Amino acid sequence: MYYQLINFGNEEFHAYPNKSLYWKRLNTLIVSDLHIGKSISYAKNKQFLPPYDTKEILNKIFVSLDKIKPSNLIIVGDLLHDVFSTLSIKDQDYKNLSQYMKNTDFTWIKGNHDKNIQIEGFKNFTNYKIEKFLFTHIPIETSLFQICGHYHPKVKISHRGKTILKTCFVHNEKIFILPSFGILTGGLDIHSTQISDVLGKNNLSIYPVGQDKVYKL
Amino acid sequence: MNINKSNPLLLHPLNKWMKKKKWSWFPHQIETFHHVRTGSDVVVFAPTGAGKTLTGFINPIDDLIKLKKFKGLHTLYISPLKSLANDIVRNLEKPIKELDLNISFQVRTGDTTPYKKQKQKQKPPNILITTPESLALLNSYENAKVFFHNLKYIIIDEIHTFLDNKRADLLSLNIERVQTFSPNLQRIGLSATLKNKQDAKKWLCRKKPKIVSYENSVLPKIKILESKERIPWSGHMATYSINEIYKEIMKSKLTIIFVNTRAQAEYMFKNLWLINKKKLKIAVHHGSLEKNLRLKVENNLSKGLVDCVVATSSLELGLDYGDVEKIIQVGAPKGINRLLQRVGRSNHNLNTPSKAILVPTNRFEFIEAKAAIEEIQKNNLDKIDLKEGSFDVVAQHIFATACAGQFDINDLYKEIIKAYPYKKLKLNDFKQLINLIQDGGYVLKNYDQFKRIFQLRENKNIYKLVNRRETRKYRMNVGTIIENPMLKIKLGTKTLGNIEEVFIQNLSQGDSFIFAGQVLEFQSMKNNLVQVKRSKSVFSKIPSYSGGRMPLSTNLANSVRALLAKSNMWDSYPEQITEWLKRQKNISKIPKKDEYLVEQFPRKKNFYTVIYTFAGWHANQTLGFLLLRGFKEFNYKPLGFVANDYAIVLWSLKEVKEIKTILNLGLLDKHLDNYLEETSIVKRLFRDNAIISCLIERRLPGMEKTGKQVLFSSDLIYTVLKKNEPDHILLKSSYEDAKKNMIDYDRLREILKKIDKKIILKKLTSISPLAVPIILEINRENLSKKETDEYILEDLENEILKEANVLSIN
Repeated sequence: MYYQLINFGNEEFHAYPNKSLYWKRLNTLIVSDLHIGKSISYAKNKQFLPPYDTKEILNKIFVSLDKIKPSNLIIVGDLLHDVFSTLSIKDQDYKNLSQYMKNTDFTWIKGNHDKNIQIEGFKNFTNYKIEKFLFTHIPIETSLFQICGHYHPKVKISHRGKTILKTCFVHNEKIFILPSFGILTGGLDIHSTQISDVLGKNNLSIYPVGQDKVYKL
Repeated sequence: MNINKSNPLLLHPLNKWMKKKKWSWFPHQIETFHHVRTGSDVVVFAPTGAGKTLTGFINPIDDLIKLKKFKGLHTLYISPLKSLANDIVRNLEKPIKELDLNISFQVRTGDTTPYKKQKQKQKPPNILITTPESLALLNSYENAKVFFHNLKYIIIDEIHTFLDNKRADLLSLNIERVQTFSPNLQRIGLSATLKNKQDAKKWLCRKKPKIVSYENSVLPKIKILESKERIPWSGHMATYSINEIYKEIMKSKLTIIFVNTRAQAEYMFKNLWLINKKKLKIAVHHGSLEKNLRLKVENNLSKGLVDCVVATSSLELGLDYGDVEKIIQVGAPKGINRLLQRVGRSNHNLNTPSKAILVPTNRFEFIEAKAAIEEIQKNNLDKIDLKEGSFDVVAQHIFATACAGQFDINDLYKEIIKAYPYKKLKLNDFKQLINLIQDGGYVLKNYDQFKRIFQLRENKNIYKLVNRRETRKYRMNVGTIIENPMLKIKLGTKTLGNIEEVFIQNLSQGDSFIFAGQVLEFQSMKNNLVQVKRSKSVFSKIPSYSGGRMPLSTNLANSVRALLAKSNMWDSYPEQITEWLKRQKNISKIPKKDEYLVEQFPRKKNFYTVIYTFAGWHANQTLGFLLLRGFKEFNYKPLGFVANDYAIVLWSLKEVKEIKTILNLGLLDKHLDNYLEETSIVKRLFRDNAIISCLIERRLPGMEKTGKQVLFSSDLIYTVLKKNEPDHILLKSSYEDAKKNMIDYDRLREILKKIDKKIILKKLTSISPLAVPIILEINRENLSKKETDEYILEDLENEILKEANVLSIN
């Protein structure tokens, strides 16, 4: 699989087109905003999205785990969409999860969507520190380098008279924001006030995600 | 002879009024009155100005007077436009008021206040004038059955506008519903002249079906603008003739200039203003303008307060503007019916001919205009193909039915297949649509506890809405017209209208563009409002609107081919056109009317293949994509193609040697699925399907979601569904829609079936005169959305990066 090399906080990370981030030195895979069970949550309001998101997201995770065999998997928040989400996780999914947990440590940073939900085998944290890096769903006041999710960043690219909006990895000097790993999740322009309040407007490193490749702008 | 026997209308309650106005009854009115009175469902074909509206009301009024103080709803009148509905009320008011008849009538559309609507439900008028959407809504109320149980007549106005679209499907289902409520109901259709009158009859009539037809013997006077200027090779803006158009406006009291797209309307308007030395009052009218602006223009038009209005199809239907003296059609007529409809907007008097001038904007359009005039003189109209009903509309109808109360699916199915578009609806598909409304209809059953409708335990055929709150969602979602994502344009605090989001996204702050006839500068976009200010800039963009590209009708295309081949006519054409055709004849060939000319020539290191199909834009576009794939297979290394109404041009690195082997029906069968998948056509139609079938909610004003996000999320649904459940009913439905509407499948099939025997292949050393117009159109990329995205990203990356720290293979 192609990846894009990203230097952040003097460490090398690999950004994959499946929207995961790999920290090779510590053999750690990082994903964010999976929003498992979003379809169930919508069904509750009689909006019947195809109920395959959970299966697909888990498969995507499993494929990555098989390929990379990381010792750690860190989820920086919003693993689940809401309390109903677990309804979409089948017994077989749980069995598969516990199989993978034998070789990989699952660390679940809680997000705004899933802060009160528990799943067996996951270690729960509000944030998690490794060396000079803090893993947290939404960035906080700190001198550490932060790796976060929450915003589902997208970037608007205008080129030769055409404009497209692409999911992206984005960071400034101190804060790194992952794209959403989910299937039915939308996104937010990185120049929207919500994101620029956090990252600022200048000196951003932006990595749009293409079909089989992560690009660099 | 007893005169009353020959004309029973002389005893009609309206006869007194007719006499006062010194009007006499038309033969078709007498005939209609007779047929309806003897129990027939009738479709009446008559030109504008022949008392069509009144024709519909003759029987209802006669009945209502005889019945004396009839209580409740007696007659339903369905109009395609809200504005027309209001106009009908005004027209009906005159005789009823003047004769002091005891008949109540009201209008009910999306613009009627909730208070008034509530009143109407409690105390319905005798005659209700409404739209298909409002009828659907009425049928979704719990008291629908009581409301309609005494209904005697349903009148469908302008029925020709209802035959080939999803609105027709919706209307047909709702007509069957009211027929169920009131089995004695009779149907009356009113239509402009139509080629396939029988089809309209089949669509509407059930009881002793009858056609009543009144043909206008006065043919319109149409000519082509005589221009001293050169007709351009290519393009659609008619800039060359702007001064001559202006002179024509000056010559007439009131002129409507029809153009084919909104962009053309803005452009034409701007160009007229630039040369408006006489300070004529010129206005612009198109569907994206704010309603109030449009109403103002319409008002000024009917009062004769303007000299000229530049308009799109937005002014084709609708009110009678009696003083319009001349119609100028700029650009290709595209179809006979459409041209007639437009021409008919002038002089609403049966005995004087309408006057129109056609302005071709390029050379092919000159031939097309000539052909159109010939066909109109022969009264050879286009056929309107009835369409098979779409699935998504049935889904919406099922939801509506559930809102009205519990229902038996067998009864509903029987009722639906009575509607003409759904005669062939399979029970199995219907059941899938029930499931779609129930819980999305997925194979994976995840939503058992969240169903929208459920089966009664004691009778599995009976379904019921789980929660009455859902009725609100249905009512927000009703209808089959899905707008593109649009943004409101604000000049200060004034709203000018709506503009496509895609256009705005390509603007930067300070860019200027033309809208509502003004040059505007883009300032900012906040909360879905586009803030603009007036600009003095000369260079400006014109918003392009994706919708509304009409393909050349088959009828007119045939006529164009025949005319092109008639070389004895050429000398009567302007010299430049004659010259063009003669040179073509010398260098290459003019195809006979059943021949398909294919020209091949080298040009600028590439190899060009031009195919003259005259198949219309949609079919040619599809054929271009298919040929691209065919060429790839033969390793000709194709680079791209461009299509217009008349021809396709493809260019490739290598010489295309086997064109006759590639160009046949096999091409369609082999590559169509791939084509549909790779372009975003089905995906785009899936969005409409998802909204119409109420799978996802329609974006409404005030909702924070932008249109783009709705589009985006329906794309996500499409992708997930395609991967996991490719047989899902909504995918099937979108695919069918694509075949029917977007790619002109049937038309293409017809051509490909016979084309291989009719190909005339000309190998040339350079471009031919006939090929020049389409070669000039080569300026856009013809890549699918997916490819475009990757291309943009890659190109941008290469341009600004060029440092090789990037890729590595794991």
